[in-house]
Amino acid sequence: MNNIVEIKNLTKIYYDKIALDNLNLKIKKGKVVGILGPNGSGKTTLIKILTGLLRPTSGEVLIDQQKIGVYTKSIISYLPDRNYLYKWMKIEDACRLFKDFYADFDANRFAELLDFMQLKENMKIDTLSKGMHEKLNLALALARKAKLYILDEPIAGVDPVARDQILDAIINNYNENSSMLITTHLVSEMENILDEVVFLKEGRLVSKGNAEQLREEKGKQIVEIYKEIFAQ
Amino acid sequence: MFKYIKYEIKGTYRYILGTMAFVLMLITGFYTYLVNASRAPINSIGFVSLLLGLTLFGTAVATFLYIVGSFRKELYEDRGYLTFTLPLTGKQIVGAKLTVAFIWFFLLGTVFPLYNLMMISIFNAAVHNLTEIFTAIAQVISFKQALFFIFNTVLKTSNFLLLVYFSITLSRVTFRNKKIGGLWFVLFLILSWLMSYGETKIASLLPYYLNLNLQSNNFMLNQLILNGMTLDFFHTGSLTANIASNIYVLVVTVTLFLATSYLIEKKIDL
Repeated sequence: MNNIVEIKNLTKIYYDKIALDNLNLKIKKGKVVGILGPNGSGKTTLIKILTGLLRPTSGEVLIDQQKIGVYTKSIISYLPDRNYLYKWMKIEDACRLFKDFYADFDANRFAELLDFMQLKENMKIDTLSKGMHEKLNLALALARKAKLYILDEPIAGVDPVARDQILDAIINNYNENSSMLITTHLVSEMENILDEVVFLKEGRLVSKGNAEQLREEKGKQIVEIYKEIFAQ
Repeated sequence: MFKYIKYEIKGTYRYILGTMAFVLMLITGFYTYLVNASRAPINSIGFVSLLLGLTLFGTAVATFLYIVGSFRKELYEDRGYLTFTLPLTGKQIVGAKLTVAFIWFFLLGTVFPLYNLMMISIFNAAVHNLTEIFTAIAQVISFKQALFFIFNTVLKTSNFLLLVYFSITLSRVTFRNKKIGGLWFVLFLILSWLMSYGETKIASLLPYYLNLNLQSNNFMLNQLILNGMTLDFFHTGSLTANIASNIYVLVVTVTLFLATSYLIEKKIDL
């Protein structure tokens, strides 16, 4: 099969709030896909279901033809939107943990990424700034040769210099045999690296397509299409 | 699972070793003070025992809360995003947490009594060496009794810890609101009561006891022992264990392990 992700009739309800509403989506292997939408559109809920942190209320999700579980966790490299590393760790401990748990983790690549991000292995996790955390988490995620990368708001809340570094790291370290899902509401900064885009609004898929084709068809940048959809 | 155990140990050893060092210093201080105060070897162990007892009880409670807190943090704090995206099954995560809790309880439960005995042998002229103490203990407790004591301690500790883990997990699955996360304790009290009630009821329905005394190796029906008591050393002067209630505790413990693992793997929403 040519799809790395297959989502069928996916619904997620929190008490009385519908976070995802009967979502159907297929993501092909080897693509960088942007999941675009404003806050509360269901982007993070979708990603958390894919990574196994949330359970669907109904519907089916397959990653590399498998249901969410130990195997899918082993092939997904996930960048969450928060500081998720254990507070007692130093950066070198985080490196060891990833090396222990993920066969596809490349310690040399991680060292290069750390150098690029101007981080040191002996830094303590709980002393890092938000930007440094973001860079470290990205270095850990990109140092894996995973089948699927899932990056949740990789540039949200970091300064413009750090943003550029993060985007450079994503572009330079992306493996063409892998697929990448990126959620963001900072569309203008991210749109150049996206092959395909998916627009989510109130948990529903409102539009999707090849980024280049959409630009040609509409004669607009993705950010303008985004504003058009979500301004309504 | 062993890899995860390694990181659990790395994350908690500072607290445990720090606590251990502090308590060992405190124990040394108690004995030194008493010896210097009386300018003579200790005649009464009572006062020291009380102080030490309180210290050790406090340490046990603090360590227990720390270990429980470590499990709770996985479900309520951001670190869960790392733990629950690692390629591990629920059983591996719960198994690792339980194993590390055991390692620390075993370490503290061994080091403190041994250190106490060492202090007694150093400061008390009546006891010249540890061999005398161990010989005296061996005369009172048989190998079979010691073995059962270890089995029972492991079983009861596992049961208790898993009941706590299960209550925390069930509370998290049922009430997503973090502000009412403390409800786990109410669940824990209810489940503990149910557990004890079941144990008592089974012991009264099936009053067959395993005799752990040296005199007899046979299973026996012992009507003298109070219903529900698995160990009745003090009432009858003999050490016996209710077979059915021990099997019941074992089954409940395994069920709690499987249920907690299942909830963690299939039901938790972070």
